[in-house]
Amino acid sequence: MPTPRGRGPEWAQAEGWFASVPAYRLASFRVVLAVATLIFHVPKFNGFIRDYVSSEFHVGPALGGLPILSPVAGLALPLLHWVTATGLLLGVWPRTCAWFLAVAGAWVLLLDPEHYSHGAQFHLTLLALAGCSTDGVSLSRLLREDEGAARCPGWPELLVRFQVAIVFFYAALDKVISPAWGLKGTGLPALRMADHGPGLGLVQRANRALLHVIPGALSVGTILTEFLLAAAAVVPRLWRVGLFAGLTFVVSIEFLLQPGLFAWDLLVAGLVFLPAGDRSWKMVYAPGCGACRRNRAILSRLDWLRRLQWVICAERVPTSAATGFAGMSTWWRLRLESPRGRAFCGLAALRVLPAIVLPPLIIALLVARFGGEFFTRRGYGPWEDLPFLLLGAYLASWLPEVSRWWRGDRPLSAATGCAHEGRVEYP
Amino acid sequence: MVVQIGVPFVQKFELPSLKYRWARYSWAMFSRPGPRYEIRLFRTRAEGPSEPIPEIRRYVRGYRSPDPMSLYAPYWTEDELLDRLARLVTHIARDRRDGYTYVAEVRWLAYQRADLPLRTELRADSAR
Repeated sequence: MPTPRGRGPEWAQAEGWFASVPAYRLASFRVVLAVATLIFHVPKFNGFIRDYVSSEFHVGPALGGLPILSPVAGLALPLLHWVTATGLLLGVWPRTCAWFLAVAGAWVLLLDPEHYSHGAQFHLTLLALAGCSTDGVSLSRLLREDEGAARCPGWPELLVRFQVAIVFFYAALDKVISPAWGLKGTGLPALRMADHGPGLGLVQRANRALLHVIPGALSVGTILTEFLLAAAAVVPRLWRVGLFAGLTFVVSIEFLLQPGLFAWDLLVAGLVFLPAGDRSWKMVYAPGCGACRRNRAILSRLDWLRRLQWVICAERVPTSAATGFAGMSTWWRLRLESPRGRAFCGLAALRVLPAIVLPPLIIALLVARFGGEFFTRRGYGPWEDLPFLLLGAYLASWLPEVSRWWRGDRPLSAATGCAHEGRVEYP
Repeated sequence: MVVQIGVPFVQKFELPSLKYRWARYSWAMFSRPGPRYEIRLFRTRAEGPSEPIPEIRRYVRGYRSPDPMSLYAPYWTEDELLDRLARLVTHIARDRRDGYTYVAEVRWLAYQRADLPLRTELRADSAR
């Protein structure tokens, strides 16, 4: 059904603060946030605690009257961090776990000004907002195929969106007034840029040069993007453009600056802007085809947002004909139909799937990024570049299509991989 | 919501003049190039050479003595940094009571406030 003009995408039609929304979005948000907490936040904050307890000298806490960390608390808190982050991941008392992590984290953050970072503050805020969610969908339920009917109050999602808007609005406002940014961008060359391995290091050197050549343009561009993202977070009409601009912005700051968890937390917060529970993508399959069964077994476990609907196109397909029926003669027997009825087959379907199974994909990238950093720090090479290499491989999969489009053979929109398949009639 | 909107605003704009200032808890990501500096922690007696501070890791983790350390202050100000180091050497001097002078030498490398001298020395005498 076409979306009424001016109201934004269909999935964004909110019905007030206390409207019921699909629970899978908040559950996915919580699980991905828990993974980020386990692989980055908990080790970092436990390090703060260890250093704090083993040092004799301390400056006063940032907030007067805040109790300081005793040796006993210094022993117990790291353990509780691991336990509660695991609880958050699995969905065992998730609200208690999220609030515990948020409050304990705020305490550690305020104990010493050197513990502070904007990224940590944002992560703790997201944990507190995850603690407001009553989705009731555990990790094991997310991984199981179900009817996709779970719903919950949507106000925690609204709070996450407002939080994203607040962060981007103040970040942009600060850059307008700050003497280092503004129209001239004189402070931009002072940014501490990340180091990358061979290949990507070359791109980074080009970025460094660009910061010296056109700092003003980059400053104004950043400010405008941040204002756009702030507006897009609260105006559903701008969500589509906001998601595209947000993803580009997040990838850019992660590549340029690698600001710890901040860029990844923005990506996690972006999950609450996605459609969920609509089963609007049709995955065509035949129970008699082994590859189709394998696809279903894998993809239904990754479809946390409940966007895929499994449509049987033929009950029984003889093995000899398994490659000959509609849509199934393609690579990996993949045929996917968009909510607007457009079909994608084989590699083209594989290229679309990341947009549908985004939460587990973010987890895989998070593990690649911070697991890679673990190896990089131990001198095993630039493994932290792995997410960018995966992104590069994904973009490279588009190269044949771009080449055909460049030669004028066919437009990019026709790159569906289903050119000779025709339309599937479902029984 | 009120806290999330109000606190950064009050942090960012000094009341009642509404004058802008960089503030920690105000979502001011990357808006200020944090000062780069080098610190050296050591102890000395009279005109003698600089010596390493014994058991420096007992006092503060992550610092070494007497070799210099290049550091970066993304989220705290120059004054906060100097105050922290002054308190640190005072604490060590008071604890050791060995007649040495405990010194934190700060050399600003870049992006520090314009009114600061390039080198600052913070000293604390330890009475026997």
